Amino acid sequence: MSEKLLGDDAAFSTDTEQTWHRVHPVSPLVRGWIAIAAIIFVFGRNSLDSLFSDSGAGLTLKGPDATSLLILLAVVGAAVVIFGVAFFLQWRFTRYQVTDEFVHINSGVIFRQQRRARIDRVQAIDVVQPLLARAFGLAELKFEVADGGKSALRLSFLKLGEAKRLRAAILARAAGVSVDPEAPGLVQEAPENHVLALKPNRIIGSAFLSGTSIFALVVVAAAIVGFVWSGEATILVAAIPFFIAIGASYWKSVTGDFNFRVAVSPDGVRLHYGMLETRSQTIPPGRVQAVGISQGPIWRAFGWYKVQVNVAGYGSDASDHGSRTVLLPAGTLDEVMAVLGLVFPDPGVENPFEVFAAGLKGPGNQHEFVHSPRSARWIDPLTWRHNAFRATDTALLCRHGVIMRRLQVVPHERTQSLALRQGPVMRALGLASFELHSTVGPIRPLVRHMSTANALALFDQQAVRAATARRIHRKEKWLSQDEPPAAPAPETAPEPAAPAPAPEPTAAAHHTLKENHHGD
Amino acid sequence: MIRPRKPGPSVTAAERKNLPKQVPFQHGSTIDPAGLAFLRVSEKLITARFISAGIGALIFLAVTLLPLVLKLTGVWSGYPAWLAWAAPAVVVLVAAWEFILIPRQVRAIGYAERDDDLLIRGGIMFHRVMVVPYGRMQYVDVTMGPLERMLGLSTIHLHTASPGTNAVINGLPAAEAGRLREQLSALGEAKLAGL
Repeated sequence: MSEKLLGDDAAFSTDTEQTWHRVHPVSPLVRGWIAIAAIIFVFGRNSLDSLFSDSGAGLTLKGPDATSLLILLAVVGAAVVIFGVAFFLQWRFTRYQVTDEFVHINSGVIFRQQRRARIDRVQAIDVVQPLLARAFGLAELKFEVADGGKSALRLSFLKLGEAKRLRAAILARAAGVSVDPEAPGLVQEAPENHVLALKPNRIIGSAFLSGTSIFALVVVAAAIVGFVWSGEATILVAAIPFFIAIGASYWKSVTGDFNFRVAVSPDGVRLHYGMLETRSQTIPPGRVQAVGISQGPIWRAFGWYKVQVNVAGYGSDASDHGSRTVLLPAGTLDEVMAVLGLVFPDPGVENPFEVFAAGLKGPGNQHEFVHSPRSARWIDPLTWRHNAFRATDTALLCRHGVIMRRLQVVPHERTQSLALRQGPVMRALGLASFELHSTVGPIRPLVRHMSTANALALFDQQAVRAATARRIHRKEKWLSQDEPPAAPAPETAPEPAAPAPAPEPTAAAHHTLKENHHGD
Repeated sequence: MIRPRKPGPSVTAAERKNLPKQVPFQHGSTIDPAGLAFLRVSEKLITARFISAGIGALIFLAVTLLPLVLKLTGVWSGYPAWLAWAAPAVVVLVAAWEFILIPRQVRAIGYAERDDDLLIRGGIMFHRVMVVPYGRMQYVDVTMGPLERMLGLSTIHLHTASPGTNAVINGLPAAEAGRLREQLSALGEAKLAGL
């Protein structure tokens, strides 16, 4: 084990087979402080209860008698020793290593675990700093691979600078940046360019102009009506838990998304956010499987949209309010377009702004959107002219809804599988629904109730488009110097309008990046 | 343009004789891609589904007949007569409906191999057609339950990175399932395209 003593801006070099590192010694404490606090609270209260006696009129200090004080000390001492040993062992048995191809993490005292992940399979990297870790200047590094969001490789905790260096090293390896022969394994952190930041009033506004506020109004109205009706104050008391939940929800969305910043680096899109617990996510190019833009009725007055993404490693992420899958919590149309341009550099149309705006606003068939036929009004009386799709050269756009407006964008090369469905009512009306399967995440692309002919055409063409796009987009290592395998002339391409080879998203960044990654 | 895939060279003439015939669907649904011949699954699947539906129906019938028997023998005379008769009657009707549907449902299951993807169709009332690209397959499962083993059938399940891909083909003859698995694995390897 060789502990490196490098400055914050020193380069990181990858490890050899024998080199192992340990996480920071205080990390078990940072991780386990809730357990400790709970135990201290429970024990402390019990022992204090026994120290103080309730002698009728109030609490009087009986005077600490020797035995109870001894017991208290013994318990505290035992707890310190047990936790100390457990934390020491936990720290001692956790080791990690980042080689040129793999990330290894060995952990566990009784049940040993050895985990190894291929660096070129990385889907996203998060650097998370919970409040206590921030106090110590520590950070957790999460390495996501495509497993539906079940288990990431996580290194908790490292010094912040170390976590950033590791992130840079892993991303550089995953990008396939060629190694400098002079100093193999040496990489520099890629530079980061600020794109946009959300002001606090936007975050607070979006939190308060949400479904939570409607729920709050309903609760208030119900409590007042109940109170006036029955005249019993207990109804107001019964509403208190609801208000606590509503307050917690506001608190969570304001502090969670506070100081939301979007930046771009050659390693991908960077998101920074959080007030107490800060998080910075990096999503490398080509790892976004689908994008969803949505707007509720209240936000329409302000022109705000929410942008979410499917990333294979994030999964649906239901545990954490789904905040990791949010690319933009509340943005104007211009901000949405800016963010879309980052994750989806080639929209495949000449007038992307108009096309995407038509996709967000609707209705009708402007900009080649195809909506449901007239017969669909029997099942979609309000939305039949809004439910529509449009295929560009590089992606499929699916538009939904009137009250809750949504636009789903799936790049052709990220299409997993397709399906057509038709139930008895839809058959009677000559309709069919088209499904596009993406990885686990908040976005489930669907084109509802198209005319059978349109749905069939979409189904056939989308299968061909996806196959063509797959042949072109073979490159996993997004910055490697070797050219991707030349796309074979698609023999099965049905029409001359087969998607043209999309320019590699980061092609322009090649030159600048070469210097940045292994400069010096 | 839709081009049905020819069976690979690994399939010998003798093996091909055992493979299912390419039978176009008579009642092809409106959402089937045009000009594509789907392969049908084995008719033995009808037997398998009859047996499992029959066992289920018998269990339900036994449960619903119990109050009727108790009533007729006078042990539980308070039980309403209409309910005692209606419950088994409903079970019999549902089972009969199922037995009428099963052959049609099984004949509606079909699959077709194209150059880049596998198509699977199914359902009569709620019809579904699915395309699974070979390059997107993460793994292929071939399973065989006790009933299927008796009849020499297998089920093949294709998995992509999406949970929405529910691509299952029931009732493949074991040899055809083996061939398909090998074929799919080989094509998947050749056309693998990451995520």
